[in-house]
Amino acid sequence: MNLSYRVYHVFFRNLISYKRYVVPTFLVSLIEPLFYLITFGIGMGAYIGYFGGKPYLYFLVPGVLVSSVMLSSTFECLYGTFVKMVHERLYDSLIATPVSAEDAVAGDILWGAFRGLISGTLMMIVAGFMGIFAASLLNLLLLLALMVFVGILFASLAMIVTSVSPSFDFFNYYTELIITPMLFFSGVFFPLDKFPEWMKTLSWFMPLTHAVKISRALFSGSFYPGLAVNFLIIFGLEAVAFLIGLKMMKRRLIK
Amino acid sequence: MRLMKILVKATDLTKKYGQLTAVDAISFEIGQGEFFGFLGPNGAGKTSTIKMIHCVSPVTSGSLIVDGAPAHIDNRALKMMTGVIPQEITLDVDLRVHENLMVFATFFDIRRSEAKKRVAELLKFVELEQKRTSKIDELSTGMKRRLLIARALLNRPKLIVADEPTTGLDPQARHLIWQRLRQLKEQGVTLILTTQYMEEAQQLCDRVVVMHKGKILREGVPSRLIADEIGREVIEIRIAKEEDERIIGHLSSLSCGHERVGDSLYFYCRDGQDLMKKLLEINLHNYLSRPASLEDVFLKLTGRSLIE
Repeated sequence: MNLSYRVYHVFFRNLISYKRYVVPTFLVSLIEPLFYLITFGIGMGAYIGYFGGKPYLYFLVPGVLVSSVMLSSTFECLYGTFVKMVHERLYDSLIATPVSAEDAVAGDILWGAFRGLISGTLMMIVAGFMGIFAASLLNLLLLLALMVFVGILFASLAMIVTSVSPSFDFFNYYTELIITPMLFFSGVFFPLDKFPEWMKTLSWFMPLTHAVKISRALFSGSFYPGLAVNFLIIFGLEAVAFLIGLKMMKRRLIK
Repeated sequence: MRLMKILVKATDLTKKYGQLTAVDAISFEIGQGEFFGFLGPNGAGKTSTIKMIHCVSPVTSGSLIVDGAPAHIDNRALKMMTGVIPQEITLDVDLRVHENLMVFATFFDIRRSEAKKRVAELLKFVELEQKRTSKIDELSTGMKRRLLIARALLNRPKLIVADEPTTGLDPQARHLIWQRLRQLKEQGVTLILTTQYMEEAQQLCDRVVVMHKGKILREGVPSRLIADEIGREVIEIRIAKEEDERIIGHLSSLSCGHERVGDSLYFYCRDGQDLMKKLLEINLHNYLSRPASLEDVFLKLTGRSLIE
């Protein structure tokens, strides 16, 4: 493992190159979750009515928020990284400088997490306009921290997939078989209580489930001890995925 | 040469990718300030060798010392003093010309004010001042290659590693790049070059090695290699193979060697005058006489047949 402060140089490079794509990516980051909020929240919410004493939208926002972080950081470290690695050969020039392969990959993971944070923050602003806020200012800050953790987790997982991917097509397996089901099995759109036991077990293995629980608590302000377990699972998985992602990408980059 | 400080020393250097041996126990020394060329056909092991020298590919076995330290992928100090001109164009297409250089400078921890100064100097050096704010897509291949050279010089390297730096360029662009690289020699920079263009090697290199199938076949100063392996002149005769015996009988006493490849018979000579006279005597006019080049050495050593 050869990590250094040069991670920042890689992050900075991404930031500079990003300025040309700010408008389109802001729009994409915003439109997809907004689409969920409008169709499910307002359309379906009209049928569902109140949900645990509050309109359905209150149930929906915390989950859609962390989902948008997941989607943004996942796509950044799948497609974004793959283009830089295979098409633009950016990694090849990076590792010929004092920036190590680990620095380069970690810089991209942090960048993916940052993209997730941007998407999540945009969502939070939209939710604010709809009248839905985190329970307190402290909770708002904790929510931002949660988004960073969720971003690094999904960016690292995506990095592992990218490290073994021969082409773009390969990403479909991951997005269709893992990421999309995760959206529906993690209690984003409806509570998991009515699931049969095996589905509850399955959802427990989905990292997004734990993120949704914490997010929901930060919005509602009602905390319970189980949240610590949810956080430890996210943090533990994240640490492991980060290290494996770095190792596998290094193996791909250095021959 | 022997008086020079040795910058790169390889002993039994080997590189394997799985079962494939790309570099097979080669040994060589490169002096500081020397322009050193690796010649060889595709797959000879040139790129693998220089990738180990500039620390992006691990050594499988043997030793490789660069500036007193073992070359290793985590050797940041060596990467700090090395400039790399890659074979592929690996410019950052998301960034404009000057941004490419400014961002690259951060990778070497060059301060912003200093980087600005160097970027201005280098854009001038490679004659790209006019293209400062252009997008990479708007540059010609020659301009992109020049920008790669500017990028490789940002950290004021002691060692420059150039992997086929003029591939795909027209003659003007190629000559400009040669001139710029020669200018660096005056500043005491060491250049390690791989090339398939024999003219490039003759233009730039103090010393070359010819590689083939992972091994070094010959090493030496280009002009000496030509004199030793070929002679001074080459005479090519386009004639059917059936005539070989008769012609060789007439000419062998006048040449250093001969070789039959496809439709041509090659004679290698110190002095072609007598041989050409003889050719006219036996009524053969269909010949071509030209000075021997590094290309002849290369083809003689690595074979004239196609290498896939």
